[in-house]
Amino acid sequence: MIAGRALLARVTPLLACCGLLAVWQAAAIALHNDSFPTAVDAIRAIPSILGDKDALINIMASLRRMAIGFTVAVAVSIPLGLLMGRSRFVASFFNPLLMVIYPVPKAALMPIIMLWLGVGDLSKTLVIFLGVSLPVIYHSFAGAKAVEEKMLWSGAAMGLSAAQRLMRIVLPAALPEILTGCRTGLVLALITMITSEMIARQSGAGNILFNALDMGEYDTVFAMIIIVGAMGIGLDALFERIRARLVRWSEPQFDIPLSFS
Amino acid sequence: MNGRTVTTDLLLGLAPIALLIAAWQALVSFGYAPVTLLPPPGQVFTRMIEQLLSSTFQQDIAATLFRLFVGFSIAVVLGVVIGLVAAASSPVNAVVRPIVRVLAPLPKVALYPALLLLLGFDHESKIALVAADALFPILLSTYYGASTVEQKLIWSAMAAGTPHHGLLLKVVLPAAAPSILTGCRIGLVISCIVVFLAEMITSTNGLGHVLVTAARTFQAVDMFVPLITISLLGLILNGALEGLRSYLLRGFPEI
Repeated sequence: MIAGRALLARVTPLLACCGLLAVWQAAAIALHNDSFPTAVDAIRAIPSILGDKDALINIMASLRRMAIGFTVAVAVSIPLGLLMGRSRFVASFFNPLLMVIYPVPKAALMPIIMLWLGVGDLSKTLVIFLGVSLPVIYHSFAGAKAVEEKMLWSGAAMGLSAAQRLMRIVLPAALPEILTGCRTGLVLALITMITSEMIARQSGAGNILFNALDMGEYDTVFAMIIIVGAMGIGLDALFERIRARLVRWSEPQFDIPLSFS
Repeated sequence: MNGRTVTTDLLLGLAPIALLIAAWQALVSFGYAPVTLLPPPGQVFTRMIEQLLSSTFQQDIAATLFRLFVGFSIAVVLGVVIGLVAAASSPVNAVVRPIVRVLAPLPKVALYPALLLLLGFDHESKIALVAADALFPILLSTYYGASTVEQKLIWSAMAAGTPHHGLLLKVVLPAAAPSILTGCRIGLVISCIVVFLAEMITSTNGLGHVLVTAARTFQAVDMFVPLITISLLGLILNGALEGLRSYLLRGFPEI
């Protein structure tokens, strides 16, 4: 029975995908609009994109920029967030600055950064870095703040230094929250990746997508949407798997449905 | 938390912003950055005040705010309703859950070309994009808040004679309010970001359009103004939401 349920849990997202595609197909047939191809047409256009060497290089370049930006952002943001959570001084130093930066769309900085650093990889990676770091900082901050004082006291009583306490008590205790932040960061990384490439039309998945839109190749537009969507879903599923492994001990009671009976 | 610590905190917090502006000024005045690429802060702020007083810029702000509010409101209504219902009824949950799992990690900006083709270049496509992007944080946190409501609260309400359909509104919704408001806050920031991006992609007005026009004509000063404006808007809206939150949650223990 457990195996059956696990199988079901694995199959339902696939079913949902099929359902959404079916709704799309039905809507496209009903609307019968030139600029809205059917799902089947869009899927048929995918192999020609993935088979094209240029397009493949472009998409890989996008993924590489995203991976670099994401990794650097996580590496910088987690220590900063943890420090902010444990020290009032650091928190009140950085908080207002971060609050000012948070609602600025990072990809909108692209035109300015392009003036300084050119249209190459550096500016795009920098923009992705900026986009990812804020949610990660905030969640690490919240996670570190919520660590139970008693655990820190016990740690101190057992002779751990401040740095050791941060590494061995605060970091693991805040990990579930940090990973939530990383997940938000991952989605934001994809968004910034696409938009930065749309603004600096030079290479990447966003470039293919919006060039196709400008040229009116609607099959390619929708095929690219499927590809980018699949990228998002795939990365999210991968991350979820890593997360489940890292914080197996703190499985939140998210799955318990609320019953009224 | 007495008055003095608040003032010290405030001063401490203003320090990095002041440092940033000072560094910016230094870069310009020591000639490390040409003025065409990095205008001095004084010039940017005077230009900003000038712009804020001009009626065309005010109309751009109004257009942006209109899209932001409509999209965000749609997201709040849909997110809270779907989240609550999904937490309360397991058949709905079985349908909603896989769909959300598929749609939530999808980068919505990639959907924007499709929305453009379907809804046109006017307000509708931008509002739809904002709503789609802000929906999921609100929906997920509502669902989370509603499904972690203490069962005892529900039993007590039922024992006190609350009708079955009243439970959602009278018990679950208030109990999930802190979580819902956290979701709204994330949704609001995302709305700010997305409305700007959508306007940058295609638009004839709005703050994003102002930025793109400035970028095309290499007016560095005018590029900074909309960015600072959206940052200020975000701060003001965030503050308003914070006020609403502390008003709505006045009976709750500090979270």
